[in-house]
Amino acid sequence: MRINAHILFGLMALPAAALAACEAEPATDIRPPSCAGSTQPGPTPIRRLTRVEYNNTVYQLLGDSSYPANAFPPDEEAAGFDNQAAALVVSPLLAEHYMGAAEELAATHTPALIAQLPNCAGGGANSDSCSGDADAFIRSFGKRAYRRPLTEAEVDGHLALFEQGATLGETDYAPEVGVEMVIQAMLQSPHFLYRVEFGMPNPDGNEVVPLTSYEVASRLSYLLWNTMPDATLFAAADADELRTKAQIEQQARRMMDTPRAREAVKNFHRQWLQLGKIEPLISANGKNPEIYPDFNNGLLPLWRKETEAFIDYAVFEEDASVETLFTADYTMMNQALAEFYGVEGPSGSEFVRVNRDPSKFAGFLTHAGLLALYSKPDRSSPIHRGKFVRETLLCQAPPPPPDIVPEPPSVDESQTTREQFAQHSADPLCEGCHRLMDPIGLGFEHFDGIGRYRETEWGLEIDASGELVETLDINGPYDGVVELATLLGRSEQVKNCVATQWFRFGYGRVETEDDACSIDEINEAFAAADYDIKELIISLTQTDAFRYRRAVSAEEAS
Amino acid sequence: MSQHKRHHLSRRTILRGLGGVAISLPLLNAMRGRRARAGEGDPPKRLLIMYTPNGTIAKNFWPTGSETDFSLSPILAPLEAHKQDLLVLGGIDMLSSLSGPGDAHQKGTGQCLTATELLEGDFPGDAGLSAGWAGGISLDQEVANHVGQATPFASLELGVAVQGSDVGSRINYRSAGQPLPPENSPYAAYERLFGDAIADPMAVERRAARQRAVLDSVADEHRALRDRLGVEDREKLHNHLIAIEDIRTRLDQGVIKFDGACQPLEQGAYIDPEVVANMPVIGALQMDLMAMAFACDITRVGTIMWTRSAANHVFSFVDPMIVEGHHSLAHKGDQDTVKIAQNTLVSAWYAEQLAYLITRLKAIPEGDGTVFDNTVILWTNEQAKGNNHSRHDMPYLLAGSAGGYFKTGRYITQDGDVGHNKLMVSLLNAMGIETETFGNPEFGTGPLPGLV
Repeated sequence: MRINAHILFGLMALPAAALAACEAEPATDIRPPSCAGSTQPGPTPIRRLTRVEYNNTVYQLLGDSSYPANAFPPDEEAAGFDNQAAALVVSPLLAEHYMGAAEELAATHTPALIAQLPNCAGGGANSDSCSGDADAFIRSFGKRAYRRPLTEAEVDGHLALFEQGATLGETDYAPEVGVEMVIQAMLQSPHFLYRVEFGMPNPDGNEVVPLTSYEVASRLSYLLWNTMPDATLFAAADADELRTKAQIEQQARRMMDTPRAREAVKNFHRQWLQLGKIEPLISANGKNPEIYPDFNNGLLPLWRKETEAFIDYAVFEEDASVETLFTADYTMMNQALAEFYGVEGPSGSEFVRVNRDPSKFAGFLTHAGLLALYSKPDRSSPIHRGKFVRETLLCQAPPPPPDIVPEPPSVDESQTTREQFAQHSADPLCEGCHRLMDPIGLGFEHFDGIGRYRETEWGLEIDASGELVETLDINGPYDGVVELATLLGRSEQVKNCVATQWFRFGYGRVETEDDACSIDEINEAFAAADYDIKELIISLTQTDAFRYRRAVSAEEAS
Repeated sequence: MSQHKRHHLSRRTILRGLGGVAISLPLLNAMRGRRARAGEGDPPKRLLIMYTPNGTIAKNFWPTGSETDFSLSPILAPLEAHKQDLLVLGGIDMLSSLSGPGDAHQKGTGQCLTATELLEGDFPGDAGLSAGWAGGISLDQEVANHVGQATPFASLELGVAVQGSDVGSRINYRSAGQPLPPENSPYAAYERLFGDAIADPMAVERRAARQRAVLDSVADEHRALRDRLGVEDREKLHNHLIAIEDIRTRLDQGVIKFDGACQPLEQGAYIDPEVVANMPVIGALQMDLMAMAFACDITRVGTIMWTRSAANHVFSFVDPMIVEGHHSLAHKGDQDTVKIAQNTLVSAWYAEQLAYLITRLKAIPEGDGTVFDNTVILWTNEQAKGNNHSRHDMPYLLAGSAGGYFKTGRYITQDGDVGHNKLMVSLLNAMGIETETFGNPEFGTGPLPGLV
């Protein structure tokens, strides 16, 4: 089977890390061998704001909570995430939406912002009295919109637009129209809609340049918060204090300790674990009401929230490692969800911690939402559950199904699901690929098609034993999901998979050969922190890929 | 943007304008006058694409009989009233989609209008296969490049419950790697096309003056930034800039005036366009809007994309017995008579939608005939057969003659391997574009024989 090169890459870094640990040197001074050459930041494409980032950014910039980007065409999704620079484009339709949103936002917020231009107020205001205020407003608002100070040429351009706008109102001199148009223009500027980076001035024509402090501020805020920099980051950038690893780490740690970081981490997991599919896909296909009379669509948001709340709690309240996400003996429920599970304790709509029987349940793998998502309307689906583990958690892709697939057996109350799918292991045509999925998925057989624990299936005894094959480090038999979760939680392959996904989400692109040093550094830091998720995220801010970029050569730019 | 602006005309006015039968002579004259304003001699030709996914059921799709004397199949039966306007095209293969990156669904959808290989990229497909966006311009955009300048919108892309945003959910491409997303909301699309026409003209002119100034400033900034960027980023900014310039150009083309068959639409109470069960209503609204866009000559190139590649929408609104998603149904073996019957119903429902669209266009007078007479509709699919992903013998169907170019009322079958590039060339020729090739010519050049 094919194992992605980057996984191997990540794993190959481990002996190096172990080696480094054996030498009695302070670990922080030792860089992986892959970092021995020149600084390699990897590709640094211009990044368009996603819908989430746009909404968050106008909230920070204007205090706007109308989520205007929800009406935009959906973000292009690649490599499992909606923020991949290579796939994000601006179509004519999106450009129109940008214009419409800019007009709405400007109309809504100009009445409050005009207070920043006191000399433009009143009937006697004119260009002479007002232009000083307009200049100041353009500089202050523009700096936050562009996430860096405006150039003098940019200030002049917006001042001209302001003056033109002041003549386009219903009165002779309408500064409020000028302000509105300046805001409209800034919200449609490429410096607002994209994260534009050129790096430090490059008089020597170097291939690689460090990012400016303002550029680092934006990288930090969009990575850790999915939004624009806050006042503290702007202040640090003003003082040019986002240049060293230590300065960046200090900010990253401050930022990680805020509610916005929790939202960004939630955004990652919603995409990586495909929690966002629980509601649309399950409601589209339904569940058979004769087999699952307790199912209703109202459960779907609770199922999604359970996994989100669990990860949020584990990462931020318990400093969870990857292993904990797999093996924790607790989850999060509110009253309605607890009633579905038949668990006593939670009351009200808030999700609270609930301890579970560790002989039956383990981490997020036994959450109803994911188990029901990877089920059929009338039964569990060992194939889809196994495929999820193989693809999403182990970062391995099983080969495609053949063109002609026999129809699956209909639900038969005289046989367990396991027995019905036995052909997959009996028929050599099926076995080659299905052995990569089914023996993983069968470990979940104590959970039915809506993700609830069952002792028996149709009164028949359940066999939840399985076997892991073709993994890099956890091959072998196991019995039941708890043992499976323990193996996955310990696996280096899984940890590298997690780091790979964070690399893609954090940097908005897929890793390349040039990223060897950055990947090794991330893996080392992750291992050194005992695979603490928050430390992994912090480590993303310490790499060459994060702090540097390729310079645009003179020949390239026209 | 407000998506719920409503005009004040009565429902009767609208029905008379679009779907109704009572079109009076004065209205026809007004219509001619409007065409004259557009500076056209002959009525303009129009191209409309209808996309549906997951293949078809061959035995229930293809007609029986001869080229000119044939009976429509169960799936095509809803088109009986329009039989003489159809060209059923057997034996055409999506050969290009057997080549290049991507899985069967990605290639079938991404290449259905481009007829060339996909780019490399990170859209995950089946089994570790992956692909990027389409590798070339799509048919509709090639046509729009030739005829789009005459209308405010060069083309119009509408969707019905198109989920996601990846190579499987896009068929229209400005160029390689430049997809055009469909608008799923008929309410947003209506506002986009006709918002100015139904607003206070003074306010519209005031806003247009401001928009010109703002867009000029924004375009300058895009231009300046574009010229400082590296190759790939520059391409992105360049395409963004073109989109801004398009909006800017449209501001100088004036506001759509309602007259003749070009009349406002009553869209009824808002329902959620993303809900699968709402597809019948939303689909009809999108088709109404497309017909209106043609009636008002807002565009001459349209696409209606129904769902997406491998869509698993559940068509229980077609038959309550259908509880499985379309893609799952399409994967059932040929022996599963129940599921084959259900999948046939789904395909026939799509044919019924096409029939509605044709009826709509036939209700819009133009010259001595109707808008439909000057239109050709291509019904395309990502596959021929859902359960084996075959892309041979694609279920292609043309409706309308494009101003008498195609000789319709026939069922024509091609022999051997015939790439769908040739179908694309035929459609380009029908739209007055002289060319021998489209897409990757390795898979076929020249038009299909026997269509004209």
